[in-house]
Amino acid sequence: MKHWFRLHGLAFARTVKALLRQPFSNGMNLLVIGIAAAFPLGLYMVIVSLAGVAQKLPVEPQLSIFLKADAPTDTGTALLAKLKADPAVQAAHFVPKAEALKQMQAAVGVDDLLAGLDDNPLPDAIVVKAKLDASVERLDALQKELAANPAVESAQLDSAWAQRLQQLISLGQHVLQALAALLAAALVLLTGNAIRMQILTRHDEIEVAKLIGATDSFIRRPFFYFAIGQGLLGGLIACGIVAGGVAWLNPAVAGLAAAYGQQFQLTLPGPLEVAAVCATTLLLCMLGAGLAVRRHLRKYH
Amino acid sequence: MIQFQQVTKRYPGGFEAVRNLSFEIQAGELLFLAGHSGAGKSTLLKLIAGIEKPTAGAVLVNNQNVARLSRASLPYVRRHFGLIFQDHKILFDRSVYENVKLPLDIIGFDGREARRRVQAALDKVGLSGKEKLNPISLSGGEQQRLCIARAVVHRPAILLADEPTANLDRDNAHDILELFKSFHQVGVTLVISAHDETLMSDYGRRILRLKNGQFTA
Repeated sequence: MKHWFRLHGLAFARTVKALLRQPFSNGMNLLVIGIAAAFPLGLYMVIVSLAGVAQKLPVEPQLSIFLKADAPTDTGTALLAKLKADPAVQAAHFVPKAEALKQMQAAVGVDDLLAGLDDNPLPDAIVVKAKLDASVERLDALQKELAANPAVESAQLDSAWAQRLQQLISLGQHVLQALAALLAAALVLLTGNAIRMQILTRHDEIEVAKLIGATDSFIRRPFFYFAIGQGLLGGLIACGIVAGGVAWLNPAVAGLAAAYGQQFQLTLPGPLEVAAVCATTLLLCMLGAGLAVRRHLRKYH
Repeated sequence: MIQFQQVTKRYPGGFEAVRNLSFEIQAGELLFLAGHSGAGKSTLLKLIAGIEKPTAGAVLVNNQNVARLSRASLPYVRRHFGLIFQDHKILFDRSVYENVKLPLDIIGFDGREARRRVQAALDKVGLSGKEKLNPISLSGGEQQRLCIARAVVHRPAILLADEPTANLDRDNAHDILELFKSFHQVGVTLVISAHDETLMSDYGRRILRLKNGQFTA
């Protein structure tokens, strides 16, 4: 065991020396890895931030139908039955004016809202939850139809834009997946190439070491350490780039959101994201190193 | 200790470097290989160390057939040998000390023991005080000594030297051979190749003469 640690310690020391021997080209490599990984991470942070906003919104498109104050109760019941039968509707329920008042009192925190009023001014309402897959056009048509109903004071389609945001986020996730896959492949090739260069520059050393009794793993070890170092540092650089970008963009983003009366900030990568990014770049770099080492060390016997 | 049984080595292209050779080297022996360049001396040494595999026949080292060894066990067999290469194979991107330490790193010696052994090896070949130099600044004779220090630092039982005295003047060559003699005296088995026989005869040991891959009388 001690022996094993010593061999790894030596390999690690040689790797650090090798990295420091060519600080410029290795630094460039690290930057490229960092930038490549920063793209998907940055997009991911934007999506996570937007999804956070979207989650607070009602996701299912919702129609609120307010009945005329003088409409008899049975028109409301008839309309409710008709809506429940509509294929685009997932659920509909009747909110009598008395219940609406109770909800309002609870929301405002006042016990007696009616003091000073003769009557409950709120209308009876029907709240309709549309099916998630109902198209926006179908819901628009339904809203127009309801608005035209003589018993209906007004009909509002509440959350079509929330649905659009949801679809945008879903599109963003697809773009993210494609981007991540492409850049993952790029990282593997990049590290593979860096390791190939290392193997070429250390040709003499590898040859002599093999001749005087080095095992394959002794030869491979420093290259894997090199890949580990590149993966971890590259991942950290990516997180640094994204954190810097988020910090730089946030004042502008907050200003834009404030113009819409919203509070919105891009989220900084947390420890979990940092760990995930570093683990991913690490794995990809190891994979690249593995391929390069397999391919280029075969000729030494 | 080392046994050749009807060994033939044919390189790709059909050139036969070694033809049907059978001989044995006893443990503790000091053996010279003589012959012109191209006679098969280097190939013979490479066959012993398992760097080349015989086309026919068997090379036994400690009763193990070197050619039959798996890729995984070959490195451990190589560690029984100290190799001195004709083209030196010195690494010029590191110091004299680091060059000599390489075999110990490969085996995995700890720092203190490694330092002690490297120092002892450098003392033995007369290079103490030059540890930190880059080998490029050493003279030809000193580079050869560096190779010897690297070959003996892990105290191998068998030392294989390919033309260690080539390109050296007579005094330097004698010093090198004296060095080998001192290893021989402590029980190391040595196989040394050279094209200059006058040097060997001074040492009065067994000489195998090669010509076109075969022994001559």
